[in-house]
Amino acid sequence: MLKKTIALLCAAMLLLALLSGCGAGKAEEQQLVLYTWESMFPQEVLDGFTERTGVKVIYSNFDYDETMLEKLSAAKGGDYDVVIADDYIIEQAVLSGLVSELDKSAVSNFGNINPLYQGQFYDPDDKYTVPYGAGIPLIVYDPTATDVEIKGYEDLWNPALADSVAITANYRVINGITLLSMGKSMNEEDLDVIAQAGEKLLALAPNIRLIQDDNTQDALLNGEAAAAFLYTSQVTQVMAENPALKVVYPEEGLGFGIMAGFVPVNAPNKDAAFAFLNYILEPEVSKACMEYIGYYNTTGAADDIVDPMLVVPSSVSSGEIIQNVSEAANDAYNRNWTEFRAACGQ
Amino acid sequence: MKKERWWLCAVPLYVFTLVFVLGPVLYMVAVSFAQNEAGTGFRWAFTLDNFAKMRDPVYIRCFRESFRLALATTALNVLIGYPFGYCMGRLSEKGKRIVMFLVMVPFWTSSLIRLYGWIILLQAKGTLNKLLLALGLIDEPLKILYSYPAVLIGMVYALLPFMILAVYTSVEKMDWTLVEAARDLGASRARAFLTVTLRLTLPGLMSGVILTFVPSMGLFFIADILGGNKIVLVGSLIQDQMTRGGNQPFAAALALMLAAMTTLMLWLYRRLTGTSELEGMF
Amino acid sequence: MKKRTLTPSTLYLALVLLINYLPIVVVVLFSFNDAKLPVAWKGFSLRWYQELARDAALMEALRNSLVLALASSLAAAVIGTLGAIGTMHLRLRAKGVMDYLATLPIMLPEIILGMVFMAYFALLRLPFGMLTLIIAHTSFCIPYVFLMVRARLVGMDKSIEEAARDLGASPVRTFFDITLPLILPAILSGCILSFAMSFDDVVISIFVNGPTLSTLPIKVYTQLRTGVTPEINALCTIILIAVILFRLASAALRRMGGAGSHR
Repeated sequence: MLKKTIALLCAAMLLLALLSGCGAGKAEEQQLVLYTWESMFPQEVLDGFTERTGVKVIYSNFDYDETMLEKLSAAKGGDYDVVIADDYIIEQAVLSGLVSELDKSAVSNFGNINPLYQGQFYDPDDKYTVPYGAGIPLIVYDPTATDVEIKGYEDLWNPALADSVAITANYRVINGITLLSMGKSMNEEDLDVIAQAGEKLLALAPNIRLIQDDNTQDALLNGEAAAAFLYTSQVTQVMAENPALKVVYPEEGLGFGIMAGFVPVNAPNKDAAFAFLNYILEPEVSKACMEYIGYYNTTGAADDIVDPMLVVPSSVSSGEIIQNVSEAANDAYNRNWTEFRAACGQ
Repeated sequence: MKKERWWLCAVPLYVFTLVFVLGPVLYMVAVSFAQNEAGTGFRWAFTLDNFAKMRDPVYIRCFRESFRLALATTALNVLIGYPFGYCMGRLSEKGKRIVMFLVMVPFWTSSLIRLYGWIILLQAKGTLNKLLLALGLIDEPLKILYSYPAVLIGMVYALLPFMILAVYTSVEKMDWTLVEAARDLGASRARAFLTVTLRLTLPGLMSGVILTFVPSMGLFFIADILGGNKIVLVGSLIQDQMTRGGNQPFAAALALMLAAMTTLMLWLYRRLTGTSELEGMF
Repeated sequence: MKKRTLTPSTLYLALVLLINYLPIVVVVLFSFNDAKLPVAWKGFSLRWYQELARDAALMEALRNSLVLALASSLAAAVIGTLGAIGTMHLRLRAKGVMDYLATLPIMLPEIILGMVFMAYFALLRLPFGMLTLIIAHTSFCIPYVFLMVRARLVGMDKSIEEAARDLGASPVRTFFDITLPLILPAILSGCILSFAMSFDDVVISIFVNGPTLSTLPIKVYTQLRTGVTPEINALCTIILIAVILFRLASAALRRMGGAGSHR
């Protein structure tokens, strides 16, 4: 019995050694560590870069922006060559001194960027970042499942939508649209106004079917919800599955989000990193990328060739971007959110 | 080796524990007293704010909710898992092997995917509703998904194998002659079970309760996925604060409180059941 | 104890197992569905298996997960078992506290453990990668082995050990001949449980993995963000089949070589 166990253990060790061994011993080659969410790049685009430069792209993922920031600060701005993340977290990364200035001479396609997405709060002088897609969360509803004609956020409060609204799980965005429906700013700092928004959110609770960040759009397809407040990529996906659904650009105003790429301050392979940012600004590459991720195109030079669905309508020139707010306001938003979620479960 | 030297075996465990458990935990305790700074992380300045904030009724409710769900999950697991482990322990050697195999197989597939399986089953246009509609048992789809029962199903489902394994381990090594002796001495079936079987398998049951109750206090992604994020447990509150909310000190304080609560629960349980021979179990 | 008839007991076992398998059956079923969404059946197709075969990153992640789970469950088996035996013989003031600490990793919400490990490893200047993953996973695997072996030791009939020693067997001999075989099932189940937990862990792994490393659950979890492709269903089906084949093969091997075995 004992001998058998020992033999078994030895066999397992051996297997382990074999498994871990076969990964090592590869020839030394240049590599670029790209750090972003899963499924942000089509494989052809990554392969194309390797073909052109001989640099192998290692695609590394995080789940939340905050995880990225944690990892990046733990690595003291090293380990990763290119990071693509959301606007507000980039502001924090810049403030923490984790971001390297762009070498504009190495990013000759910088002029291809649509100026609408430049000069933003996280990078007012366009020194650090290259935008990679923009998102505008929108309402989508199924006219066969509800009689309510939805025009704006306010309609989500309609009692006729009881237990049939799906929303995304970003606490600032949901607080934000409540504020917008009250005619306030998404970045409200006044604690009294935030408390009012909290009250108003509680009234939305009976209508909420689910709160979820991933695959929220499925709720419209599998019959769980009649209306949904969705991220841009989800809107694109759900419209492709069922074109009979209706997309609403809420009349109270739009929330805006920009994803952008930057090079960490101690990136191991900066040359390749700048080359990569330059590469994704090429019109053809941008087109492939945006059509793959389903976000609004940020490379102006590609507007003519990209799927027209992904070019922001000209009516949208003034979206509001969610920014970092004071500690006290942030606390209040968090509290609203927790209270709201708990009320939804009642 | 002399008898007294057996304790040396505990050295690797203790060293590992000190370096890789106590170390990180002390760090967490330190963070829970640090000052949060919105946007840029936190500052090392002593404050009790993070604990004071927990008195807010919203957050107290999260603790209550977590506790209730953990209790319900554990109770259902005992009800389903104990008889299962017991019946399994009475099977033939071959039967045991087969059932053990069948219990373990789901374990090897991703738990996220199994949750996904429940979504497929329970959703409005899902398999279960289609079946019920086809049988004419219901007129319109049941809204099971994104509700409390759905969460409970998911929790029990995820943790049941722990209970089964723990109970089974105990039942399997039980000395059945003791039960027979009790029966021979005139004890009824029920009495023999209560006085002998239950007592002998109590370590396994205890272990099972610990292995289900404790993780269920912290498990949150089941409630998020099957409950549509509508049941706010401490675990998901912590995750919120850690990621989106950007308040790590508060998250650390919440975690500390949660750990303290589970410890208290276990201590109480041990006291109430008076199982002093289980000393050292926790 | 051999009965051919359906007793209430076996009926109960079968019923619970059946419910246990429902979600797995649908996952497997929809891996053959010719549509992206698991709502309606649109015909049999193997296209998800083909796409899976082309997905090199997913395969790499699978290999990493196997290495990680094997390493951490073995480390946990050794440390946890020795620890359970050692603490049984230990009379120490701080013992209660130490035992509590040793089992703490399964009492803390995973996300806290992950974040704390990350900050701590950065403090120790450990490079993020397989090593940090193994350490973190070992820490939450140990309690499973430790608790299971401990439960077994506590419930064990001490008189057998004593009898062996009275008959003149050395403590070491007694251990290997009596104690170890008795606690072996507990070690094995603890080990199996550890392997499964490690193989499945996502939250902690996300925090402590390195820039160039990914495990299977991380891949699956991050895919949940952008939409589960039935590729994942297909992978699950394959893993399931592999597990079943592996177990059947080992059972067959045992039967072939089992002539001399006492079982």
